[in-house]
Amino acid sequence: MKSYFLKRTLELIPIFFVISFIIFMLLNAMPGDPLLQMRMDNPRAFAQDPERLAELREYYRLDDPLIVKYFDWLKNILIGDLGFSSQYKIPVSELIFSRLPNTLLLTVTAWIIGIVLALPIGIYAAVKKYSVFDYSTTVFAFVGISLPSFWFALMAIILFGVILQWLPISGIETYGITGFWNVFLDRFRHLIMPAIVLGFIQVAFWVRYIRAALLEVLDQDYIRTAYAKGAKERRVIMRHALRNAMIPIITIIALDIPYFFGGALIVETVFAWPGMGRLMYNAVLASDYNLAINCLMFLAIITLLSNLLADVLYVVVDPRIKLDERKRG
Amino acid sequence: MAFSLKKKYDDLEQEISGLPVGSYNQLVFKKFLKHKLACLGAVILITLIIFTFVGPLFVETAYDDMDFSAIFASPLSENHFLGTDEIGHDVFVRIMYGGRISLLVGIISSVVSTIIGLIIGLISGFLGGIWDKLLMRFVDIMLSIPLFPVLLILSLVFGSGVFSIIMVLTVFGWMRVTRLVRGMTLSLRESEYVMASKTMGQNRIMIILKHILPNVIPIVIVTTTLNLSYAILSESSLSYLGLGIQPPMPSWGNMLQGSMSYILGTSTGHNPWWLTFFPGFFIFITVLNVNFLGDGLRDALDPKFVSES
Repeated sequence: MKSYFLKRTLELIPIFFVISFIIFMLLNAMPGDPLLQMRMDNPRAFAQDPERLAELREYYRLDDPLIVKYFDWLKNILIGDLGFSSQYKIPVSELIFSRLPNTLLLTVTAWIIGIVLALPIGIYAAVKKYSVFDYSTTVFAFVGISLPSFWFALMAIILFGVILQWLPISGIETYGITGFWNVFLDRFRHLIMPAIVLGFIQVAFWVRYIRAALLEVLDQDYIRTAYAKGAKERRVIMRHALRNAMIPIITIIALDIPYFFGGALIVETVFAWPGMGRLMYNAVLASDYNLAINCLMFLAIITLLSNLLADVLYVVVDPRIKLDERKRG
Repeated sequence: MAFSLKKKYDDLEQEISGLPVGSYNQLVFKKFLKHKLACLGAVILITLIIFTFVGPLFVETAYDDMDFSAIFASPLSENHFLGTDEIGHDVFVRIMYGGRISLLVGIISSVVSTIIGLIIGLISGFLGGIWDKLLMRFVDIMLSIPLFPVLLILSLVFGSGVFSIIMVLTVFGWMRVTRLVRGMTLSLRESEYVMASKTMGQNRIMIILKHILPNVIPIVIVTTTLNLSYAILSESSLSYLGLGIQPPMPSWGNMLQGSMSYILGTSTGHNPWWLTFFPGFFIFITVLNVNFLGDGLRDALDPKFVSES
C-alpha cells in the first residue's frame, strides 16, 4: 500500500512539470507586459525618464529566454514566492490564503449537500428500477446537466432574494452584525443559495452514476444468494449491495472535487462570494496576469491531488484489487 | 416485380428467424424513433435552428433597433412579444439573433474539436507504441487542467469575438473524443478483418479509412452531441462573464450579463425578470434537447444495446 501510494505520488512529478509549463506559456502568451500596469499607475515618472523603462526591464529580467524565465518562475513557486498582484499590490500568496477559507466553506457545503441528496435518490431509483420515481430521476438528471449554473443562480436570486426577500442576494456577511450566534446565522443565510446552486448541479450527475453502480451490483449472483437465504430486502441492499456499490461511488465523488472549484468560479461571481473563483475572475478582468495564473496553477494542483485521492481510495475500499496486478490504462 | 418478390422473401425469412427486419441504417432509424425523448429533442432542435437562422429574415426589427417609446416593456405587450430591455431592444428579436451566434459557435467548435479528436485518436490507436504513449500522456495532462478557469485565461489570450471563442472551445474540446476513438482503434486493430486486409497488402491509410473509421463513427456522433452541449454551455458562461461574445452583438450569454444591472429593480421600480428568464431558458432548452438527442442516438447506434421499451 505504502509503495503504491509513493509510486502514484512520484508519477505526479513529471505531470506537474508539464502542466506548469503549459500554464507558464499561457502567462507569456497574454497580451501586454508586467510593466504596463506600472506605467499606467505612474505615467509622468516614465515620461520624464525614458531610461527607467529599460532599467526596469533589465531589473525584472523581462528579456531573458523563455526557458530561463520558466525555471526562475518555477523555483519561486516552489519556495512559496508567488509574486505580487498588480491589482491589489500585495503578495499573491496572501490573497489566495485569505480567500481560500471562503471557497472551502462554499465547496465543502455544496459537496455535502450533493452527497446527502444524491445517495438516497440514486439508491431508491435503482431499487425501484423502471418505476415512476426512476423515470422522474432520469428526467431530473437531464434537467440538472442541462441547466446553466449562472442562470439557475440568477433565477434563485430573483425568486428568493428579490421577490420573496427571504435570503440575502450577495456577499458573505451583513455589515455590522455582532455576537457569535448572530454572525453564525448571518453567514448561514448567505451560504444557503450559493451552496444549493453549486451542489444541485452535481446531484444530477451523481444520481445517475449511483443508480448505475448499484444496478450493476444488484445483478450479481451473491445478491440472489442473499435473497434466496431469506434475507429481507432492506438488509440485502444495505449490507450486501450498497457496500460493493460504494467502491465506484466513492471514487467518482473524489474525482469530482475539482468540478466544485470550477463551478465555484461562476457561482461565486454571481453571488459576489469573496472566494478563489471570484478572485481569479476579477484578476482576469483587471489583466492581473500573475494573480490569475497562480490561481489557475493552484486549481490544477487541487485537480491532480484529487485524482491521486480517488486512485488511492479506490484501492483502499476495494480489497479485490491486487496492487501489483493492477494495470493502469 | 422480381425485386419486390425478393424483398418479401427476405422479410419473411427474417420474420421467421425472429431477427429485426431492414438494413443497419433502417434499424438505427427505427430504434431512434422508438426513443420518445430523442424524437422530441430532434424536433425541438430543428425548430430552434429554423427559428434562429430563418426567423430574422421575417422580422423588420434588427437586434440593435431601439424603441424608445417602450423601455422595459413587459412580455406580451404591444409590438414586443417578449418585452424590451433598458434601451428598448426587442428581447424576442435579440433571442433570435443571439441564438444564431450561440448555436453557430456551439456547432462549429464541437464539430471541429470532434474531428481533431477523431484524427488524433485514430493515429494514436493505430500507430501504437511510443507515439500512443506520448499522445495519451498528453491527453491525460490536458484533462487534468481545470477546464473552465483555463477557458477564462485563454479568452484573454485570444481576445474576445466569435472566431476566438470558437478557437478557445476547440483547443480544449478534443481530448475525450481522442481517448474513446483510440481505445476502439486499439481493439479493432487486432480484429481478424483488419489482419486479413493487412496480409492482403492494403496500405495503412486505406485500412484506417475503410475498416476502422466506419466502426468508430457511431460513437463519434454521440460524443459530438455531448461536445455540443458542453460548447453551448461554455460559450454562454463565458459571454455571461463578459469574456465571450461582446455586445452589441447579442448572444444568449451576454444578454443575461446585460440583465444583471437591473436584477434588483431599483431603477425601474419592479424587477424586469423577462430579461433574465428568456435568454437562460433558451440556453436550457437547447442544451436539454441536445442531451435528449445524444441519448437517443447512443441507444440507436449501439448494436449491443437492447431497447428497454
